[in-house]
Amino acid sequence: MTALPLAAAGVHLPAPATFPPALAVEGLSKAFGGLTVASGINLTLARGDRVALIGPNGAGKTTFVNLVSGLLSPSAGSISLAGEDITRLSDVQRARRGLVRSFQVSRLFHGLSVREHIELALLQRLKRTNRLFASIGRMADVAHEAAELIERLGLADIADARVDEISYGQQRLTDLAMSLALKPKVLLLDEPAAGVPTRDAGRTLDVVEALPGDIAVLMIEHDMDLVFRFAKRVVVLAAGHVIFAGTPAEIVSDERVRAAYLGAYGREDEPHGR
Amino acid sequence: MNARPSPIRGDLVKLAAVALAGLAAYVVFPNDLGLMTRVVSAAFLVVSLDLITGYAGIATLGQAALFGIGAYAAANANLYGVGEPILMVVVGGLAGAAAGLVFGAVVLRSRGLAQLVLTIALVQLVHEAANKLSDITGGSDGLAGIEAAPVLGMFKFDLYGHTGFVFSLVVLLATLAVLCAIVRSPFGLKLRAIGRDPGRVRTLGAAVMPALLVTFTLSGTVAGMGGAIEAISAGVVGLDGVSFERSAMALVMLVLGGSGSLFGAVFGTAAFMGFEQIVSTANPFHWLIIVGVLLVVVVLFVPRGLSSLGHELKRLIVITGLKAEKR
Repeated sequence: MTALPLAAAGVHLPAPATFPPALAVEGLSKAFGGLTVASGINLTLARGDRVALIGPNGAGKTTFVNLVSGLLSPSAGSISLAGEDITRLSDVQRARRGLVRSFQVSRLFHGLSVREHIELALLQRLKRTNRLFASIGRMADVAHEAAELIERLGLADIADARVDEISYGQQRLTDLAMSLALKPKVLLLDEPAAGVPTRDAGRTLDVVEALPGDIAVLMIEHDMDLVFRFAKRVVVLAAGHVIFAGTPAEIVSDERVRAAYLGAYGREDEPHGR
Repeated sequence: MNARPSPIRGDLVKLAAVALAGLAAYVVFPNDLGLMTRVVSAAFLVVSLDLITGYAGIATLGQAALFGIGAYAAANANLYGVGEPILMVVVGGLAGAAAGLVFGAVVLRSRGLAQLVLTIALVQLVHEAANKLSDITGGSDGLAGIEAAPVLGMFKFDLYGHTGFVFSLVVLLATLAVLCAIVRSPFGLKLRAIGRDPGRVRTLGAAVMPALLVTFTLSGTVAGMGGAIEAISAGVVGLDGVSFERSAMALVMLVLGGSGSLFGAVFGTAAFMGFEQIVSTANPFHWLIIVGVLLVVVVLFVPRGLSSLGHELKRLIVITGLKAEKR
């Protein structure tokens, strides 16, 4: 990764010197007709940042990830990745530059094995997926790295099983493995532990925590225990607005968050349906 | 991990099985070589359809357009003096490739049902064009008098179709071998993923449209080769080669054999055409009903096609075995 001129980063951003922030989102807005789903969202991820994005259902969290990853185009605002303006780039181009996302509901390729999913992501990162006559079996580097990822995510037993024949938790881990195989600079995880049994959720967080320090991770998560364990900073979204950004400790005492988020669910003992 | 079965060995076994089945049919049914050669040329069409539908996940009812264009190209080349059958197959393949690229460029602008309708419109257009351009297609009379020279100057095409069948079978085997390598390649893996969820493939950083265009071109090549094979072995090329009906029958054979598997496509073609032949001979009045019932039964009970029958049975046996062990 090359250092870009500081001017490109914007002076007000709290990035370490010489590095522009991994991801900088400024004034990001999106409206579907009269419905505003994102309104002037600012968010900066430094290299190695660990940020949780939380908010009540319908707050616009997934919309935000869709906007940043290029599945939706914003009505206004800008997005830059490591100093480069990517607002007008397609989802493919963003992914190639190291902006990688996962989906709230795993989107895997039925009929393909766990290993094939990971190999596909590796081959894509190595720019080999246009090879018509190469043999994947003869690519020792791919085989080695795939085996290493499979091991790290605890998928060894089912590595050659079809993804439609494994458990949901294992599917989520496969999804995560694909994202990791791409060696992202910025990783957007949309509820990686939702609907996953505790054991696999723990594995998910272990793997995310063990990621190299230069990867910036933004995680949407409902489980507050995971949020507190994972995040250095928490951003709270409500009705398309950022209503709070701060440390996990600060969030507990913040009135606005209480009103918008916790308050909405405050009367329930187990608020997040887990 | 070492226990991972070698996919290449599996492919070789299946290729050998196709070769053996072909040779066995050659020995056992020496009077039906004409039908068997038609099965082989149809297999090209169904395999080419499988690349687009089974692998890339795009349903089309216009595949015969590519087949027919290959047939017309090879026939014209022959009438202008190209006698060598291998060269005729190359001409058919190239024409099919060009047609496939154009076909893909048009079809990929649309999605879903609109896309399917577009494929039907295209095959109808090609059909009508072939009907009108009688200078190069012979119109509704078709092109006759196609006479291929001996293969490599050695094997003459005979009246009984011996050379025609063996030549077709050898070209099919060679084509299947190349396609096996392609579907196991990194590109093939990407293609299978695109067929399931193109949007997800994009988020991995892989452009989908170029890959699909390559696939349409490849598919056109295979279909065009099949058309050339038919032109060579039948000696005539007619409008039925570019028809909607032919396209729809190809899809039926693909579903019957099992889409997303090259050998399933071949198996489906042989099973359908063989069954059709037997039933229509046995009962010339009601054979279509029997074929229809077969299709309904297969789609309901073996949805992944006849080629998955072995796998399904094995699974059934394993499950039964496990239940027995528990007791």
